[in-house]
Amino acid sequence: MNTFLVTVGVGLATAAILALSAVAFTLEYAVSRIANFAHGEFLTIGAYVAYSTQGIFHENVAAAAVIAAAAGAAAGLVLNVLVIEQFRGRSAITVLIATLGVALIAENVLTMIYGAANVTYSFAQGNLHHVGPFLWTTSDIEVIISALVVAGLIYLLLQRTRFGKAIRAVSQDRALAQVSGIPARRIIMQTWALAGAVAGFAGFAYAATIGTFGPLLGFNFLLLTITATVAGGLGRPYATLGGALIVGLAIQIAGTYTSSAYELVFAFLLLVLLMLFRPNGVFVRRSSVAVRA
Amino acid sequence: MYWVSVFTEAGIFAILALGLDVVWGWTGDFDLAFYGYLALGSYMTFVLTIGKPTPPVEYIIGWHLPVLLSIVLAIVVVVGFAAVIGAIALRNLRGIYFAVTTLGAVSAMYLLVENYTPLFDGFNGVYGLVNPGQTALNLTYNGYRIAFGVVVLIVLFLAYLLVQRLSRSPFGRMLRSVREDERAAAAYGRQVFWAKYRSYLFGAALAGLTGGLFAIFVSAFNPSAWTPQELLVIYAAILVGGRGNPRGVILGTFVVYVGFIELTRYLPSPASRPDFGPALRQVLIGLMIILMLRFRPEGVFRERPGVDSEREPARPLPSDAVGALAPAATGGPGVPGVPGVPEGQAADDGGSS
Repeated sequence: MNTFLVTVGVGLATAAILALSAVAFTLEYAVSRIANFAHGEFLTIGAYVAYSTQGIFHENVAAAAVIAAAAGAAAGLVLNVLVIEQFRGRSAITVLIATLGVALIAENVLTMIYGAANVTYSFAQGNLHHVGPFLWTTSDIEVIISALVVAGLIYLLLQRTRFGKAIRAVSQDRALAQVSGIPARRIIMQTWALAGAVAGFAGFAYAATIGTFGPLLGFNFLLLTITATVAGGLGRPYATLGGALIVGLAIQIAGTYTSSAYELVFAFLLLVLLMLFRPNGVFVRRSSVAVRA
Repeated sequence: MYWVSVFTEAGIFAILALGLDVVWGWTGDFDLAFYGYLALGSYMTFVLTIGKPTPPVEYIIGWHLPVLLSIVLAIVVVVGFAAVIGAIALRNLRGIYFAVTTLGAVSAMYLLVENYTPLFDGFNGVYGLVNPGQTALNLTYNGYRIAFGVVVLIVLFLAYLLVQRLSRSPFGRMLRSVREDERAAAAYGRQVFWAKYRSYLFGAALAGLTGGLFAIFVSAFNPSAWTPQELLVIYAAILVGGRGNPRGVILGTFVVYVGFIELTRYLPSPASRPDFGPALRQVLIGLMIILMLRFRPEGVFRERPGVDSEREPARPLPSDAVGALAPAATGGPGVPGVPGVPEGQAADDGGSS
């Protein structure tokens, strides 16, 4: 078995979770033009809710996924109404600081409920399968397939439905969309709920894959999510999928050939390099000129 | 003695807050790398003073320098590190992108320190700098701690004088003009990058100094002592005191560290949940940040730049008005949303256009 191809396979599984989280992050950015630093907490909440309802649903993967997504959606809705909309018209950086405050609150509320120590949450990973040149566990395959399905659904939603059209309109110009009769406020709320649902599901998938997690699960994943989003280009949902693929593979390959402890070091160095040379994403040519957000 | 240590700690962090305020309050760049500068300053102070490591402990350098010289060298190293990050982040990144870049850089450094033990002994960290100069000064342990607290407050006062002077200087005014409207400042011939870069390095130097003092204060340092969450407390202190107002920043730090953290020490923490009390405190700090930003972004003490203190400088649109506009803009459907208040008018709108 070729080590490189196995590495690529694991990288694809990482990339799938990353893609889900990054698409949600980019949707939030697209409609509200802010970087949500509490995004990671959607993942954490999804993971903890799935963990708490373990006793009710036992090993039912689908039920756990749905309830994690529902919890994420609720969190997205609450954050949008209680914080993001309250800061309308303020600079993006002000909202960023406010969401950092939210992240601090969410992390510590979870700590108050569940304690700071890690909890164990594991599904049976299933058998190893040879799929083409790759070596995946059953849950890897489930994660990859579900990521593809979610990405496909988001594509259809954005391109083929009135709701998707409204999202695209609002993300281009909220005021103009509003005067054209689109209820911008409601569309944005629904987008946040959608993004929260996707992120909550990603949190469940991530927690189930790594098996043990704590209140910092999401915050630690946030910077990786941002790296993937920036690699694709902030606010561009389809390019974000490509960005997640690049980042997921890059860290897995770099980690395998050095030490897995340094995976994230590579990811963040990659982020800094992206910022230096391609702040608008790798799919845009000559974009190292002034970026303002 | 307990209160001496509380005030010493607040004094140390007030110096850090002054440095951070130069970067965030004056030039408007929201930086998340600052805690890394404090950490680097601390680590360097340790490895320059505590001598050769005894295996299995390992770290770099391991000299036996006098502590004052070590702090100076630590500041040099921190400024050098900040020079690299600043050159990347300040070149053409602003707002969100600047924040993300600095967070990425400091996280990479954090993980490297944690996992690469030959650097600063990984998770275990470095220790062994216990009251340097206590015997030379012929002091008791408590006497030393009191003297150290006094030294910290003197250093804080000197830093305040320096920052205050810089604030009133043409350089300080130029930084504010860059914050309010970068393009206009550039059009009037200001070197925007160099102005920001110099202020960034100045802020980092103060962070390095803080790191050195912190090393003496805690006498042991490991990665769990510095996380992005700790930096948020400093930001909360600046927000409370008043961004861009050195006196307000110092007062805000003392209020947050002495008042807030000490009062919340008495929060109930059930025996079965030892994390409950500290977590509740963090929740309150998060709430404080959000509420200050929402309702009084200029802080308790407003920024008062200007040449002479007699004349009240013309204020831009008061942020209260901005706050009042925002809910109105989100009125019922059919009402065209009022586009955001022009950038550079709200008091909290540091230089992000």
